[in-house]
Amino acid sequence: MMLLIAKRLLIACSTIIAVIILSGLLIHVVPGDPVTAMMAQSVTATPEAMADMRSRLGLDLPVWRQVMLYLWHVLQGDLGTTIRGNEPVSRLLLQRLPNTFALAVAGLATALTIGIPLGFLAAINRGRIADTAVMIIAVLGVSIPAFWLGLVMIQVFSLKLGWLPVAGSGWRNIVLPALTLGLTYCALVARMTRSALVEVLAEDYIRTARARGLREHQVLLVHALRPALISLVTVIGLVFAYLLGGQVIIENVFSWNGIGRLAVQAMLERDYPMIQGFIVLFATSVVVVSMLIDILYTLLDPRMRQR
Amino acid sequence: MTVPAQTTIGPRPPRRRLPLSVVLGLALAAIIILAALFSAYLAPFDPTRMAVGPRLAAPSAKYPFGTDEFGRDLFSRVLIGGRLSLGIGVSAVAFGLVIGGLAGLMAAFSGRAVEAVMLRLIDILYSFPDTLIALALVAFLGPGIENATLAIAISLVPFYARLTYGLAAAERAKPYIEAARLAGIGTNRLVRVHVMPNIGQSLIVMGTLGFSSAILSAAGLSFLGLGVQPPSPEWGAILASGRNYITKAPWILIFPGAAICLTVLSFNLIGDSLRDFVDPRRKGLR
Repeated sequence: MMLLIAKRLLIACSTIIAVIILSGLLIHVVPGDPVTAMMAQSVTATPEAMADMRSRLGLDLPVWRQVMLYLWHVLQGDLGTTIRGNEPVSRLLLQRLPNTFALAVAGLATALTIGIPLGFLAAINRGRIADTAVMIIAVLGVSIPAFWLGLVMIQVFSLKLGWLPVAGSGWRNIVLPALTLGLTYCALVARMTRSALVEVLAEDYIRTARARGLREHQVLLVHALRPALISLVTVIGLVFAYLLGGQVIIENVFSWNGIGRLAVQAMLERDYPMIQGFIVLFATSVVVVSMLIDILYTLLDPRMRQR
Repeated sequence: MTVPAQTTIGPRPPRRRLPLSVVLGLALAAIIILAALFSAYLAPFDPTRMAVGPRLAAPSAKYPFGTDEFGRDLFSRVLIGGRLSLGIGVSAVAFGLVIGGLAGLMAAFSGRAVEAVMLRLIDILYSFPDTLIALALVAFLGPGIENATLAIAISLVPFYARLTYGLAAAERAKPYIEAARLAGIGTNRLVRVHVMPNIGQSLIVMGTLGFSSAILSAAGLSFLGLGVQPPSPEWGAILASGRNYITKAPWILIFPGAAICLTVLSFNLIGDSLRDFVDPRRKGLR
């Protein structure tokens, strides 16, 4: 048990280090000279300024030393400074973190609240109309781009009906982006719930429970749903990662002042330290969440606990 | 008339008919692909020429999808945009499938150490959403249609690598592989002649799923201004440039969006249903 957790922790740490190294190397993906690319839009691109930038980014060092240096700084919490404004990347990211976190949680909660009942409904009506209907909703859900759904929501709920504000960061403003994310990712949740429950319903202990004469709702809610939800816990990490990815675009649609908006701004301005910082932060949160979920799973599942 | 001999006792296995959703998906995909292929002939106007009509004109017989903020014909733009989107999708999937497939085969057939390291790497990359990998790469490669295609292709590599590995590893355990090995066939030839034909069909089916996610990524990147650049009429780019006019001219929102949805939907319908045919693990779940 403890061994399992220790192993998981080790994997998570090595993954994070690998991601930091990869992100440090990304600047060498830039075709041609990164400094020229960065300063292309700047008026102060004198040769001196460019040489200065090069040494500031450590680009005059050999590649392996650059990467080691980047890793060393990141591990100390220093993600460098932005090209525009010369502000510490970590501070800018941390400022926006609460907003992004709030939207992610709201979006995930919405996706689960819609998705789990839908998946449940589909599984207990397998092969019938309700199942087909849910699966149609699910395939539609994964086919509609989140950013387009967001634009449609703005058009309908903000501009036509005037119920909710178009953009900004307050509790009334979180409704539309959270709903957009929730509707987009509930399809994934519904699908996973359905297949988890279908698998559980085929187990022997379900037949036993029915044979013991338990009521159908007892069988479903007590014996079937619980193990299905536990196995669902493992995939929530995946849903969360995808939701965070989708959120990068959604924050831009709704002008939500989060990390995604900051990152895309940096991408358009070619502010490489900022983009690298974003990648490191994003990857770390995905890795940490998936690790926590794995550990949670071992704690929840009695079959795993005995190991 | 002779009655076909029944070789097995008991009820005949049900005939494998294509599900309705696949038929629907195929029909939709066929229309979209044809429209994209012949877009140059079908488009009534030059998609980038301004003021072929009044600004923000509502859909009419002359401009079936209306016009945009520059008086460009939206119908022509969506049609030509289809050619761009499908082109990006096809190239990205082809590249991703080849690289990912090779990586997956390598992981499955190169001994334990290589297998462990590659699987770990593939798993790490797979845990990140593909759109985000594409976004990060494009941020460094720079915007533009070629870079976006390359970034999307690379973002699909982990998906295909994992898939190929799974299929190849299942194949690896089968007796015929052992027989072939005993017959003295080398790994290269074994993979090419014996494994590939057996998993190729499944890979092509899975290709359709990667295709829809490639189209979504391309639209997302272009919408953010990091993919296809205006005035090129990629669907995401049309939405981005027209988004300030959607109240006055909702057709700018509706038609390119519907084009994305229908394209992605058609390939998801095909891929999803066929996945059950090719993926043995999923059969019991239906």
